[in-house]
Amino acid sequence: MNSPSLLSTINPATEPDKLDSVERAEIDASTRGPVLLFFGTAIFWLLMGSLLGLISAWKITNPGLFDSISWLTFGRLRPAHLNLVAYGWAVPAAIGVGLWLTARLCRVPLLHAKLLISSAIVWNLGILVGLSGILIGDGRSIEWLEFPAYATPILFIAYACISVWTIIMFRFRKSGHIYVSQWYLFAAFLWFPWLYATANILLVWQPVQGPAQGAINWWYAHNVLGLWFTPIGLAAAYYFIPKVIGRPIHSYYLSILGFWSLALFYSWNGMHHLIGGPFPAWMVSASVVASVMMFIPVITTAINHHMTMKGHFEALNWSPTLRFIVFGAVSYTVVSLQGTFMAIPALNSITHFTDYTIGHAHLGLYAFFTMIMFGSMYYIVPRLVGGEWPCANLIRWHFWLSAVGIILMVGALTLGGLLQGLALYDVASTFRSSIEFATPFRVLRGISGFILMGGQLVFAYLFVQMLLKPGSQKKSPAHFDKSDNSSNDSVAI
Amino acid sequence: MTAGIILLVFGFVILSGSALLAICWAAKSGQFSNITEGAASIFDQDEPVGVPTDRFPVKNSQ
Amino acid sequence: MNKLPLIFVGIFLTFTSAWIGLVAYPTLNLANVEPIPDEETGGVLPPTTSGMAIAGQKVYASAGCMYCHSQQVRWAPLSTDIAKGLGTRQTVARDYIREKVAFLGTMRTGPDLSNIGVRQTDANWHHLHLFEPRTVTEWSIMPSYRYLYKTQKISGQPSNDAIQGLRGPHAPKPGYEVVPSVDAKALVAYMLSLKKNYKLPESPEPTAK
Repeated sequence: MNSPSLLSTINPATEPDKLDSVERAEIDASTRGPVLLFFGTAIFWLLMGSLLGLISAWKITNPGLFDSISWLTFGRLRPAHLNLVAYGWAVPAAIGVGLWLTARLCRVPLLHAKLLISSAIVWNLGILVGLSGILIGDGRSIEWLEFPAYATPILFIAYACISVWTIIMFRFRKSGHIYVSQWYLFAAFLWFPWLYATANILLVWQPVQGPAQGAINWWYAHNVLGLWFTPIGLAAAYYFIPKVIGRPIHSYYLSILGFWSLALFYSWNGMHHLIGGPFPAWMVSASVVASVMMFIPVITTAINHHMTMKGHFEALNWSPTLRFIVFGAVSYTVVSLQGTFMAIPALNSITHFTDYTIGHAHLGLYAFFTMIMFGSMYYIVPRLVGGEWPCANLIRWHFWLSAVGIILMVGALTLGGLLQGLALYDVASTFRSSIEFATPFRVLRGISGFILMGGQLVFAYLFVQMLLKPGSQKKSPAHFDKSDNSSNDSVAI
Repeated sequence: MTAGIILLVFGFVILSGSALLAICWAAKSGQFSNITEGAASIFDQDEPVGVPTDRFPVKNSQ
Repeated sequence: MNKLPLIFVGIFLTFTSAWIGLVAYPTLNLANVEPIPDEETGGVLPPTTSGMAIAGQKVYASAGCMYCHSQQVRWAPLSTDIAKGLGTRQTVARDYIREKVAFLGTMRTGPDLSNIGVRQTDANWHHLHLFEPRTVTEWSIMPSYRYLYKTQKISGQPSNDAIQGLRGPHAPKPGYEVVPSVDAKALVAYMLSLKKNYKLPESPEPTAK
């Protein structure tokens, strides 16, 4: 990093070309501090958030658990769980992956590392303040926006730094063509502050009246998924799948089409959470139509990923990154199609208000987004610390615990939610039966939580090992052998 | 309430303005022409098409 | 290919339309609903709520009741909410104008509360239920909110607001009583205020089928 004056760091200048591999190693190394800090804190909050989720899962089947402790009541644990995994884990993980991808795709070493490091510290401070706020009872009970009013400005400031940084990096980029991942990243980094600011202004600082809040709430909550987590997850998938198997994306045109149709349709989706609610019918109808139109970006993405992978599926055996990312990409297709069906009013009247929705949320945020983040980290971290992951078998354990855990969780919640929903819908059925149908599945969900946490603990152990003593050091800039894909251990599952 | 509306209008003008500028720029600088070439832009001489770049760590490393 | 920019401008404008439709529109229109005069009593609809009930909304948010209880009766053709007795009519925007936060909710792990003040009119029932839900509904999975209550020694006369009817393991020791905190009283006042049994012209009661 050569940063002589402030002006020269926010205004692009040209530099002579270097060898690709040397340049890439330099870029990777330049991202080390901020990216590892974001990853490390993200993993910490993932463990904390999952622990809170696990406790609340068990409390719902054992209501007497810790019931005299106000800060461990279900109504505080659940939002604390959601906000920790969403803003403590998923956002920093997305930022970390986003920073690294941005630097690589712009082909410039990361600028302003200190700004990013301070942003990471401030962000995590905001999380801590917000978490304490929820637990002491200052939560706002507005889904996805529970952090009290004194925590959100901290988060916003931290995030704004990242957005500004993205614009600076974009101006400095050396690559002429903007790769599709950059479209997604750049858009996501700018959409999020817009979403967050709008929602906070209209729901906290200048609260609008009554049900208008519901509309804004779900416009925000759904767009956080659709215009922030999804684009980052897809940016990673669009980069890592071709990169790992060494084959360009099947149809670049489809990928761009997917991007714009996502921006168009996803942004209208939110109101399908309030079908039948106190809103003008056209608002809900627009959301239902947009939800159905989500077929277009989802199918284009699914076809594109599948056609890219076609003939290379054996790569899943030897690449940990690919294994996690393909799992995530497949889940993206499944969760999006499921979401489309859930928005159809006839089905929505059964699944709405039940555990089915919780299953859908975990399919999206865990099976899709979190798995893609894990996969990306398996690729990125070795290139930052300069050494390989210490143990292949532990990576396999991590994968299988995560995969089995999340499939069990989503399966249990989906089935239980359907039975619960049918009981809630049936006029002849009592409320009690809706609880009784759901209970065994809720126990199963609690068990799946343990399995998922097991996987996370394995990953946390691997990550700490990487920070302390990375495995086999290599001197060449690329840390992986280019030809040796058929060594003995690579075939094992 | 009025402050909220002013912020909304302000935000709308800025955001839609910048997004329109972004699209105009993208069109001018040729982001939408040669669209298929973009797919190859993540490969280079050292990590060319056809070479995988990730695998499980080999056993003897620890 | 060179028509692409045009397509993208179109797509972008549609994207902004979502913001106009789902954010700007409700802010400007849905948020300016006024109460209407009540022809029968000369009051207003929806009726004004007491200060205690408004304080109770804060307790409701703080305890996170919203994560298991919805507060909306959906329109009849696509739901059985009215047939199941959650209310006599669909809830509409005007029903929520007294609420600082409209707790519409997205889960029915517990029953809908739009009309809990109609179904359960007894404050002591609510206190019993909040202190130990299983004393009134044995199969309930609701957590206890006993942190909102205080067990204290009876000095002289028992307090007027002590919970009546606590049985079994939850009953206080002889000479002791369980009294609600200000928060618990506010929460119960809020519960009792949740009634959508007045008539609004925009939400007629569906005729029986």
